Amino acid sequence: MALTKERPLAAERASVAGRPPSPRRTTRPQFRITVWLALLPLIAVLGAFAYFPALSSIFWSFFNWVPAGVSTFLGGANYARMMSDDTWWHSFGNLGIIFVFNLASWILPLLAAELLVTLKSDRWQYVIRTLLIIPMAFPGVVTALIWGFFYDPNAGLFNQFLRAIGLKAFEQNWTGSPSTALVALLLVGFPFIAGLPFLIFYQSLQNIPKEVLEAAQLDGVGRWARLWRIDLPLMVSQIRILFFLVVVATLQYGFVAFVLTSGGPDNATMVPVLYIINQAFSAGDWGYAATLSTTLFAITLALSLFSLFIGRRSAGANDGGEM
Amino acid sequence: MSTVTTRLAQQQPGKMRSRSHLQVGIKAVLILLVVVSLAPYVFMVITSGKTNQQFADSFWAPVFPFHFENYAVAWNQIAPYLGNTFYVAIASIILIAAIGSVAGFVLSRFRFRGRGVVYALVLALMAVPGIVNLIPLFIMMKDFGILNTYVVLVVPYVAGGVILGTVIMRNFIESIPQSIYDAARIDGASNFRLYRSITLPLSLPVLGSIALITLSTVWNDFFWPLLVITDDSLRTMSVGLQFFQGQNAIEYGPLMAGYFLASLPLVILFTFLSKYFLAGVQGGLPGAH
Repeated sequence: MALTKERPLAAERASVAGRPPSPRRTTRPQFRITVWLALLPLIAVLGAFAYFPALSSIFWSFFNWVPAGVSTFLGGANYARMMSDDTWWHSFGNLGIIFVFNLASWILPLLAAELLVTLKSDRWQYVIRTLLIIPMAFPGVVTALIWGFFYDPNAGLFNQFLRAIGLKAFEQNWTGSPSTALVALLLVGFPFIAGLPFLIFYQSLQNIPKEVLEAAQLDGVGRWARLWRIDLPLMVSQIRILFFLVVVATLQYGFVAFVLTSGGPDNATMVPVLYIINQAFSAGDWGYAATLSTTLFAITLALSLFSLFIGRRSAGANDGGEM
Repeated sequence: MSTVTTRLAQQQPGKMRSRSHLQVGIKAVLILLVVVSLAPYVFMVITSGKTNQQFADSFWAPVFPFHFENYAVAWNQIAPYLGNTFYVAIASIILIAAIGSVAGFVLSRFRFRGRGVVYALVLALMAVPGIVNLIPLFIMMKDFGILNTYVVLVVPYVAGGVILGTVIMRNFIESIPQSIYDAARIDGASNFRLYRSITLPLSLPVLGSIALITLSTVWNDFFWPLLVITDDSLRTMSVGLQFFQGQNAIEYGPLMAGYFLASLPLVILFTFLSKYFLAGVQGGLPGAH
């Protein structure tokens, strides 16, 4: 691992990238064929199993797609149908709630990272950091199923707890009633520390140069002021990347909802991914499913470009120094 | 603790007391966060040794005797999923490592027309969510007639994995000093030799990261195996475990034992190799290099 840490200086790196290994001009044509032969597996795999399906999805979105049968061209009819599909747009409303909650939940990993770098003992830092990220190692399905068990109306932890402290009246069918199902899904994985946000916050805080912090301390900058005036501004570019990743991840949200509620009850936890799968595999409406996934892709692309653009503009002033 | 005391000793004696109180308070909050984070998994382990009767009598606390036979029951059902997950992961890892390392080497070390375009096309796919391809890829596999095989499981993991694999490998190989390659060239090494004897050995840690990420992707992936596999003997972990939950929904002990067994290999790998896991996770980030 020593090599990855040892980054070459910017100037040295540029010259490395810009220089061909051996400029033997006489053998160049044959040379190029070797290069393309070496890239062939990559191009074949990505062409056949990444670009082709994505493009064919766009193509079939204009058809009443009957796989292994006769498909009829519909023009924009699938898209027109989508525009007035209330469940589809409702599922984006749910995503909006999930997204805002995701962003708000960053406060906990940020708090944990700030507290962790304030610890003076390196050993404590290491042990606590390791314990905090262990939940990342558990398969997502295990976490989802354990929480599903917690929400069980009879044997579940939450209702048992309410019974134990004499609040039987507050018992709920957590994942089974429309008013609590979405909240139940959001809380899966509480306190949300084990994840990329925490790792990035912690790493960025560790990378803040000692001199900056010492200078701040001499100027009498308190811990709270340090968070706002030093830590957060220096993390802006990392936060921008996180924001982009959360946008993409949220739009793909679906697996926890599938395991715990299957999008129900009464579409209260319906999300686009589940709706697309339902349209294809339950309703057999492949063309419409292709329309929906093309739209989801377009929305993902638009939002991720938007989030990168927004971040870049606000980060401009702080991007000068490499961390 | 020794570092704390020596560092504290260097500071003014007046501040010492409040500083150490503060440290204790911070530790208390962090320990609370650790406890809350790990509580569901601790609950899982405690419950995994209980019979239903013991669970009904004592919901929270661990009770003895610990029923290890729950693990035997769970193991019989979980083991096939574990095997499938490993087969699929190993096949995917080999293909991703081979394709990604060659492509990363070529894209970072050779100059040719179209290099930028190829790399841009690979990078562009990082922004394409997997769900977009799910439906057309399913129909494609159905047309090939390979639903319910190991091959159909490997395909999307390789297609997805080579994207990240190529990007990570290219960034890493670019950071290897050019002088090493120049020296080998002067000694008469061929392009293949540069790949095999220099690039590959130096990239082993990065390939390790790629392997771990792929393993955890195969372990965690849900919708693809759910849709392409109907034969229970071919299911991988996530979908298998959901099926297992349906089979054992009211046998809490074996149920939790199964969850624990399904997590254990990943947790052990993660604990000992977390450096590689994290390097891989963060290496894929734009801007991390």
